[in-house]
Amino acid sequence: MAIPIPDATLSTAAPPPLPSLVSARQLRAQRIGRALRLWVPAGILIAMLALCFLWPLVYQLPSPTNGNIIEAQEPPFSPGHWLGTDAVGVDIFSQLVYGGRVAFEVSAATTVIGMVIGCALGVTAGYVGGWTDAVISRVLDILIAFPALVLALVIAEGLGPSEMHVIWALAVFSIPAFGRVSRGATLVVRGLPYMVAARLAGTRGWKIIARHVLPNIMPGIVTFSLLGIGIVIILEGALDFLGYGIPAPGASWGSMIANGQQVLTAQPEYVVIPSIVLLITVVALNMLGDALRERWGVQ
Amino acid sequence: MSTLQTNGTLLEVEDLRVAFAAGGREVRAVDGVSYKVDAGSTLAIIGESGSGKTVGCRAIMGLLPAGTAISGSARLRGTELIGLSDAALRKHRGSDMAMVFQDPARSLNPTMRVGAQITEAIRTHRKVSKSEAHAQAVELLRLVRIPAADRRFYEYPHQLSGGMRQRVVIAMALACRPKLLIADEATTALDVTTQAQIMELLLELQQELDMALIFISHDLGLAASYADEVVVMYAGKIVEQAPAKRLFGAGGTVKMRYTRALLDAIPHLERPAHTELPVVSGRPPDPTMLPPGCSFAPRCPSAADDCRTTAPGLIEHAQSHRWACWHPCENGGAA
Amino acid sequence: MALAQQIQLQDGTGARDSVRRVAGSPALRLAGRRLLAAIPVLIGVTFLTFAVMSTLPNETAQAILGLQATPGQVAALNHTLGLDQPFLERYWHWLITVLHGSLGTSIGGVSVNHELALHLPATLELLIYALVVSLALSIAVAVLAARKPNGIADRLSLAVSMLGLSIAPYAFAFLLIIVFAVKLNWFPVISGSVGTTPASFFKALTLPAAAIGFPLFAIYTRLLRADLVEQMQREDYIVTAKAKGVTPWNVLVKHALRNSMFTLITVVGLNLGGLVGATAIIETIFSVPGIGNDLLTGIGNHDVPLVEGIVLIFALVTVLGNLLADLAYAVLDPRIRYGNSNS
Repeated sequence: MAIPIPDATLSTAAPPPLPSLVSARQLRAQRIGRALRLWVPAGILIAMLALCFLWPLVYQLPSPTNGNIIEAQEPPFSPGHWLGTDAVGVDIFSQLVYGGRVAFEVSAATTVIGMVIGCALGVTAGYVGGWTDAVISRVLDILIAFPALVLALVIAEGLGPSEMHVIWALAVFSIPAFGRVSRGATLVVRGLPYMVAARLAGTRGWKIIARHVLPNIMPGIVTFSLLGIGIVIILEGALDFLGYGIPAPGASWGSMIANGQQVLTAQPEYVVIPSIVLLITVVALNMLGDALRERWGVQ
Repeated sequence: MSTLQTNGTLLEVEDLRVAFAAGGREVRAVDGVSYKVDAGSTLAIIGESGSGKTVGCRAIMGLLPAGTAISGSARLRGTELIGLSDAALRKHRGSDMAMVFQDPARSLNPTMRVGAQITEAIRTHRKVSKSEAHAQAVELLRLVRIPAADRRFYEYPHQLSGGMRQRVVIAMALACRPKLLIADEATTALDVTTQAQIMELLLELQQELDMALIFISHDLGLAASYADEVVVMYAGKIVEQAPAKRLFGAGGTVKMRYTRALLDAIPHLERPAHTELPVVSGRPPDPTMLPPGCSFAPRCPSAADDCRTTAPGLIEHAQSHRWACWHPCENGGAA
Repeated sequence: MALAQQIQLQDGTGARDSVRRVAGSPALRLAGRRLLAAIPVLIGVTFLTFAVMSTLPNETAQAILGLQATPGQVAALNHTLGLDQPFLERYWHWLITVLHGSLGTSIGGVSVNHELALHLPATLELLIYALVVSLALSIAVAVLAARKPNGIADRLSLAVSMLGLSIAPYAFAFLLIIVFAVKLNWFPVISGSVGTTPASFFKALTLPAAAIGFPLFAIYTRLLRADLVEQMQREDYIVTAKAKGVTPWNVLVKHALRNSMFTLITVVGLNLGGLVGATAIIETIFSVPGIGNDLLTGIGNHDVPLVEGIVLIFALVTVLGNLLADLAYAVLDPRIRYGNSNS
């Protein structure tokens, strides 16, 4: 998938308007707008997480993998099946919920791995410079030039599809992304006057990194990771769609779309429903990232 | 200094007010400013940052962002500029009245050749062919004393030195022979030698083209050397206004305390070595929180109680000399 | 130009500065250096692919001989084909073959070069179509949006680009199919061959190009709009242009847009690499006979030479894209091109 450039350029907000543009009433409206843009997507995500992880504990959902062929193709709002069933009788709502679990688990794990390892590499490269930087940058370049999908597919093909394999495969893409961003951010911070002062004062490298570099780059890293989670969810969906991700008959949004492809002309909703859910999730993640970027003043 | 032409008033500004809302509060950047500029003469508007000197002139040119509240009157040869639509104002901008800005490094488009930027100024207002505009642009470059003008036409801004860039900006401003040129801190970003060169250039051009010049600065010394008429601004208001001759030089009378302080702050060679430089203490006031009474009172060494309670009005106390001060200086000659 | 600085910072070698002083086409030298630096990347990528693919059980010999072959025969053929050598040797072998211009033989027995030559045009046509249209549209939309920040056009463009960024290309592909192929019947559901006439070209490739192009359009628009608005509000030369009496439209297009183009080109270049996955999936969905399609089938067949060949091409595209991004500044920015002759 086309991978957006980290940070700077994707902020929705125009630069803060010059004072003359803002009256008291407009100011209030802006404040409300800003709050909405933060809390609405956050709320949606929290609701989705709750739905995927908590709701099944409370309420017994029909199986997301096994269906009764007798109950095939039931429409939404049928008794026992809130969103109906698909072509082979599996409950759609359950598939969405359990598929959501997979999506969030994989993307969270991948992003965390990418953040930890990637930032470790990137900050080191950015801070130390010299040969370390050159070597690490080359490695990151190679990993980034590597088509994410190919690697994931090959791993799945060779090792067999499983959630863990998907996570590791996608981590290969996630690590260099974080590496690049954190390296860039570190370079920016490194040249700041108080940083130079700290180095001159003899503060040890570790302390500088921990106390100065990391807190400064964290906002940018966090907003980037939200964007990253969205991308990983889409990638993971692609893998499932191609049949290489979660082993069948496991439920996932991608496999729902793949299954729905068979009956696309007759029953488009089997494709549309998971697509919309996927869209809403990623939109919420992106909007949240934007709103946080706005709030934290990340460049 | 140029001799005052008696062709009449070119620009008449009356009770100009500019306000905008910042953080819910009203900021009066320009609070009732009036002055006249005669054709061919030189007016200096002096003030610190935040005094409103730049905002006022930008308001006249129509260069302020939308949403600013502008009221009052500014008549250029009888045509009222305040309240004019942007489309109408554009006809005057760059043709009748032009502006030169502070930082030549940033005032020019870095990806456009300087010649093209000048021809743009010409062709925006006149219907001339490309080659004709080219010729005129080269002529303008010569006018501002840039050597090898025909070669320089094709260069990019970063290939020129600071002084030359500012000359290019001036050439752009003069493209349509404006009657009024506003120089907004045009020499502030330049080194002292270049500063003098550019000022001299401006004065020469003024004579050659019979142009009125408003130059905005924080440097009272420039006003003393080059201006016919001086307006001193503080916190959005005019605090002293007089012909330059009345204020500076022998027998000069600077009345308002702020002007006095500014004048005293100019270092002089004649002062004995190691004397402390008199400075104007404190900082420019926060425009959202102006004190009642005289705005300068918190920083004025001779402030009295009436200064703090009631604002002095700008009154013409003496012939063509106005000031706003309850306790003006007695003898205002340069120290 | 925050992005510009970020890009420059992410480039770690400072080559630009040292190169600028030298007379005589600094841009070419820069290009040369970058290309040189790209070689280890290409080697690295292909090596990695080879290594990973080698973990897959190799069924080439089996496939050639058919189901009746005995293990003995398979082993013998493997030996003849050199498929039982350690993978480092095989990789080396492959590398040498590539440098001689051949990409080897695929599992089906066909030369990979031949296979790719057959299918590459379709992919190229698809990508160029997608790129050109999304670029053109994004410039138009960004300019309209920047004309009045926070106005209607602006908000609309932001909403649409948010959708473009967030939607999965494969999901979007199906939505397109449902709306335009099934319901409206403007385009065929399966694209099949591209054909030779313009009409067949557009019929076959419009939907797939839209699926690939929409996310691109979103990225470009957002970026360009942000850059334009920032310039219009912050830059001094914009005020100068206004002071000259230039119309707001011309200020936007002739001044601000010029300066924003670098950022745009940079982003285009940097994003080229990410297109691999989308292209592969889209080609599969629409049955476009391109190399993306081949890639997926190749992986399924454990067809190492074919996959290697395609990965090489895609890696090349990525590297060239990065090169383009770097060079955009060096070649187009007059500040770098002409250096400082006077200051």
